[in-house]
Amino acid sequence: MKNKSPKNLVVNVKNLEVFFKKKQIINNVSFQVYKGEIIGLFGISGAGKTTIIRVLTCQIKKKHWKGIVTVTNITPGKKQNNSKILEKIGYVPQLELLNLYYDLSPLVNVEIFASNYGIKKDNALKIARDLFKILDIPEDTWNNPLKNLSGGEKKRVSMAIGLIHKPSVLFLDEPTTGVDANKRYDILNYLKKLNRKLGTTMFIITHDLEAALVCDKTAILREGKLLEFDTPYKLISSLASDGQLVRFTIENLDEKIIKKIKQYPLCKDISRTGNNVIEVFIQDLEQNYSNLIEYIINNNIKIISMSRDIANFRRYFQLRIKEEEEKEFKEK
Amino acid sequence: MQQNLRKKLKTQLFRILKMIKKEFRLIKIDPWNLLIALLIPPGIILLFAFMTEEAGDPAPLPVIVVSNDSNTFINPNNYTSSTWDNYTIPYLKAVNKSNLLDLKGYYNSTNEPYSMEMARQELLIGNINTIIVIPIEFTELLQLGYPGIIECIIDSSRVSKIQDNINAVYDSIQIFVRDNNLSPQFELKVFEKFSVPSNYNLGLNANFIKLLPLMVFGIANVLTILVIVKENPISRLLLTPVKKSEILLSKYITYSAVLLVQDLGIISAALASGLYIRGSIFELFGAIYIIGYSGISMGLFISSLSKSKTEANQLFFASFIIIILLSGLFVPLGSMPIYLNLFAQILPLSHANPLVNSVLSKGNSIFEYHFYVLLFVSLALNIITFLVFYKRRYEV
Repeated sequence: MKNKSPKNLVVNVKNLEVFFKKKQIINNVSFQVYKGEIIGLFGISGAGKTTIIRVLTCQIKKKHWKGIVTVTNITPGKKQNNSKILEKIGYVPQLELLNLYYDLSPLVNVEIFASNYGIKKDNALKIARDLFKILDIPEDTWNNPLKNLSGGEKKRVSMAIGLIHKPSVLFLDEPTTGVDANKRYDILNYLKKLNRKLGTTMFIITHDLEAALVCDKTAILREGKLLEFDTPYKLISSLASDGQLVRFTIENLDEKIIKKIKQYPLCKDISRTGNNVIEVFIQDLEQNYSNLIEYIINNNIKIISMSRDIANFRRYFQLRIKEEEEKEFKEK
Repeated sequence: MQQNLRKKLKTQLFRILKMIKKEFRLIKIDPWNLLIALLIPPGIILLFAFMTEEAGDPAPLPVIVVSNDSNTFINPNNYTSSTWDNYTIPYLKAVNKSNLLDLKGYYNSTNEPYSMEMARQELLIGNINTIIVIPIEFTELLQLGYPGIIECIIDSSRVSKIQDNINAVYDSIQIFVRDNNLSPQFELKVFEKFSVPSNYNLGLNANFIKLLPLMVFGIANVLTILVIVKENPISRLLLTPVKKSEILLSKYITYSAVLLVQDLGIISAALASGLYIRGSIFELFGAIYIIGYSGISMGLFISSLSKSKTEANQLFFASFIIIILLSGLFVPLGSMPIYLNLFAQILPLSHANPLVNSVLSKGNSIFEYHFYVLLFVSLALNIITFLVFYKRRYEV
């Protein structure tokens, strides 16, 4: 549990609204982030994740936003404040190709970026070597042109550059994008490892819902609105039966069968997760589990296998977005 | 307060120095570009050192006529006989009639004792190509039936024009003889001004003036047109405390330093090939440098304006063609319509050629009209580039 005293408040956002040419991009967003937390910003494209990060990283002029925003107790907007904030934050962009000097080596890249914080070469290289070791960047690549490194290695070099000046907050834009599927977890683990070792507060903007595994808190955004901001555990627990579900493999599963099961009075939601697989949320699962099975069998539906599980963040995210869409549809 | 300011300045200077180091590293990545900048100009000079011809320029050639016909001061012993100048005006009419000459002025040394000095000054600053001198007792000699003599002092800093000038002056003599029914026996005495001593490379001097500005400006342009547009990580650099002004300033300093090395190479190659420098070698260096700097300014301006490498290349070709065509190398500025002439006056190459000629061949100081125009154009481009770069949106 992170210390939530005011002096540990790193990012404070209250009633943030962002406008571009009279179009509202962010609508009344509020959240607080404390020292050492890893925050995941999730949402489909156009949800406003990047816009919020751009406000926090001084990339959007003050005339475009209103509300209370502080990053390391400084409000972005004024030039002087922006310089102070930029000294205290790190940024790991989505695309390395556009943000690193590919023809220069990782160490030279680090040296270039470190010099902007006033860090001298020797010191920069010392910090870089330590970070490269934590991030398992092979030593024989440190002096080779960056273009010769693998995608994952480039991503880790980019992370090291973001951390070279020991920032209070590190912003990571889609850190797992463009990385092999099997390396995605490695990247997430490295982030957790860095967070533990350096105590850096991290913001992760991502489409990759697996990233929630390493997040202390997750924010779900949709069309500029912050739907949820809490720990993944609490969010999942807010589902029916504390997020517990029943997974069925059903013979010849089709829409008719799904519709039939949905008609079970205590059914809260059904998601089709495979060709013959569905996940069912019902009210008071412990008490009504056997009734559900009986209902399915009585309706001549053949169950091949079944198991009980707890919903993951992906499932929560899907249900929450679906709920919001339905709500909006009804309002319309 | 003062300490804070000093610390801030120190940090800024540190960042700029590091940014300059980064620029040199980026230059090192693409050594071909650097080699082109440093080796091609001296290489071409060495190549052209063996050329002796210079391409011709179109007529008419600007001249001033100085008449000593009735001058009693020049030859006080003969003052009684040198009082007539009946043929001065007819000769002036002949000059006016000639399609090959453009009469810019006429001085009568009887009325103006410093006529020759004034005419020489015009020759020095390049307003005229030739001084036609009507000698003392010109009218008397012709009336007595002696062969006529016309003297002319020709700007020999541009080799090809020597013969053009002689031909043009001779054309005026032919008109004069025909119109006044005079004896065809006429003599043209030619004195060369600003000519290259025989032990130097005449051909190189002639070509250096035309070739060098174009080459230095063009290469500086090519070297810098992609510098901003191809540096993708600028957007990420701007998420550090570095400022846009520091990034741009480091580029100007770096490429100005490259220019210094390039100029040293050019001067060394030119001297080794027998270039005759009438003025100061440092002033010639300065002249080449300001031309190169205007090229860098133009290149960085294009780079800051372009959204992609392709756009930068297209913009470069478009602007370079216009700058060359309106530089006066192909069509004299005086022959252009007034609107084109005015436009050409703000283009760097229009001033580069006269500046090099003035310093190299005539020994003039660099600090003259063309230098100040080049400096002004470069600084104006620098300011616009800073504004464009400042307004340019970078997003990671």
